[in-house]
Amino acid sequence: MTTPLADSPAAALGQEVAAARAEASPAWLAARRRIAWDAYEAIPMPSSQRDEDWRRTDISALHPERFTPIEGVDTAVVDAMRAQRDSAAPKAAFAIDSPVATPIEGADTLHAQGIIVTSLEEAAMVHPELVQRALAAVRVDESKFIALWNAMWRGGVFVYVPQGVEALVPVWIAHPAGGDDRAVFPSTVVVLDEGSSLTVIDAYASPVGLAALFSDAMVILAAGRDARLDYNTVQQWGEGVWHVAVQRTVLDANAKLRFMGVTLGARLQKVWWEVILDGVGSEADVLGICFGDGTQHFDHQSLQAHVGAETRSNLLLKVAVRDRARSVYGGMIDVAPTAVHADGYVANRNLLLSQGAKADSIPRLEIRANDVKCGHGATAGHIDSDQRFYLMARGVPPEEASSLIVRGFMDDVLDRVPHRGFAELAGALLDAEIAGGSGAGVAAEAG
Amino acid sequence: MTQAVLSISGLHAAVEGKEILKGVDLEVKQGEIHALMGPNGSGKSTLAYTLMGHPKYVVTGGSATFGGTDLLPLTADARARLGLFLCFQYPTAIPGVSTVNFLRAALRAQGKEMPAREFLNRLSTEMKELKIDESFRSRYINDGFSGGEKKRMEILQLAMLRPKLAILDETDSGLDVDALRTVADGVMRLCGPDMGVLVITHYPRILEHLHPDRVHVLHDGRVVTSGGADLARQIEREGYEPILGTAAAATA
Repeated sequence: MTTPLADSPAAALGQEVAAARAEASPAWLAARRRIAWDAYEAIPMPSSQRDEDWRRTDISALHPERFTPIEGVDTAVVDAMRAQRDSAAPKAAFAIDSPVATPIEGADTLHAQGIIVTSLEEAAMVHPELVQRALAAVRVDESKFIALWNAMWRGGVFVYVPQGVEALVPVWIAHPAGGDDRAVFPSTVVVLDEGSSLTVIDAYASPVGLAALFSDAMVILAAGRDARLDYNTVQQWGEGVWHVAVQRTVLDANAKLRFMGVTLGARLQKVWWEVILDGVGSEADVLGICFGDGTQHFDHQSLQAHVGAETRSNLLLKVAVRDRARSVYGGMIDVAPTAVHADGYVANRNLLLSQGAKADSIPRLEIRANDVKCGHGATAGHIDSDQRFYLMARGVPPEEASSLIVRGFMDDVLDRVPHRGFAELAGALLDAEIAGGSGAGVAAEAG
Repeated sequence: MTQAVLSISGLHAAVEGKEILKGVDLEVKQGEIHALMGPNGSGKSTLAYTLMGHPKYVVTGGSATFGGTDLLPLTADARARLGLFLCFQYPTAIPGVSTVNFLRAALRAQGKEMPAREFLNRLSTEMKELKIDESFRSRYINDGFSGGEKKRMEILQLAMLRPKLAILDETDSGLDVDALRTVADGVMRLCGPDMGVLVITHYPRILEHLHPDRVHVLHDGRVVTSGGADLARQIEREGYEPILGTAAAATA
């Protein structure tokens, strides 16, 4: 199960752990970690009463200091995640985000192409300039949770694709967690140099069940001039997990991002899907699906920041909530004065499957440039009774008709995902959820 | 002796508290083609939806059996599984559900599943017959289809599902002459001892292609007169007024 580090006594999140983390880091990173810890201590916990950004997401029951950082990986969870890789992208390299140094599996092809796939910790020592450049996309003290991540992360996964190299196989990154009252700081940093391309699958999972875990995650994606990045992520935490994550992409001139996010797990999640369209002519297509049930709470915040001229972005998030699950969505298209001829659209569609389920959606536009094309749309509704009747009139029983409609609602997104293996995995996980199973957590064999 | 597939007696039905069907009597025998005509508002589509079991249409009296089974307590899916098919006047789009997935789900539900290869071959053949482009296989059902495409898609479903009785609810409306012929030919090809048809229309035109065994005229929620194919021709020549006038006089 868990592989403990012999010389690392378990201590809850606090000054002692922060100091140890800084101690074990190269000087530049140690300095960064110390600033981060101070910032974490100085910034109050976000409050649904005080902070507009957190008004609809209450984390008053989350106490980070009660969690102890994991010191190993749950091998059963890793096996379940590897099995997903095997079915969805068998050729993909498999990188495990672990506090214990873990070899990358199946990376020979990528290494032969000169692509770096390693732990972020290793990269911080061996390729400090690359890591520093990537981390510069996120200010250490931007928020309480970003500061905490900066102070605490270990392991992590770092990918660098050199100029002009088109990665022949995807990289599948597994962020596993297990145990009870444990904290994880999943980290993904991907840097694509000019004219390169890569497909990434970034997966978060813990065992099915209510074990309390706290995940404070960071994803930094940097795509250089003319680079193309396909980024797919699936969040499959168990239903006792608090998940906070910033997933930020910075695009240079003519770089293209295709982002697909699948949200199924966690007790409560708040994630930021952010794209900075920095370079002229850069483009981003951001897709997402989310299915929740029970008392799950999902909060997606998206940002499409148009900085460069002639930039284009399109975001579509579809959410289905059942039982007493709740979805909160806030989407912002921000167009800087420099972003002339920007073209941006943001849409959030919600399907409410029970009377007690709820979805709030607040798309916003902030336009400070002339001659732009921007729009937003948000809808929420129940299953259409005419659609259900039409299916039933062909002999399909009512429950199956509803399932088909929900799946169809999501397939409208899944059908646009370039990586078909990932889309099929997402579809299969979704089917299990719709059928009443849980997409929260992976069925990991004990032992 | 041929058995009645559909037997309706004294059927009353209401929509949102308003009674529309006021005692419909109708019998369709195995493999027969019947036409149900009548002016707008006579209750034709209400009868179609009521028979299919749309929850908005509430039966307030009378009976309806299908192959001897009481239809009325059954939900729409159970009625479909008995072999009843409704060709919708306004087919519903279901974004995200492809034509292929939709048909497979329907066949599976009706216990008519077939191996993938056979299914695709049959689908291909039927689509050719109906002049439906191959690309419609993977398109979402009725999503963004033109009126004519929707109607042809209804007949495609009919062809794949092979029910015992198909109710065509104004399938001819909104079709041009060529599309009407394609659709009517499609229906005629499927008709036979195993499949009867109840055609609902207020234009006699489609009946030139379908050659009904019996023609019924519905007015104010009742079948006021029935006859052979010549009744449709009479309506074509003289309109409903002479018939309805006679019927009104007869009721008076």
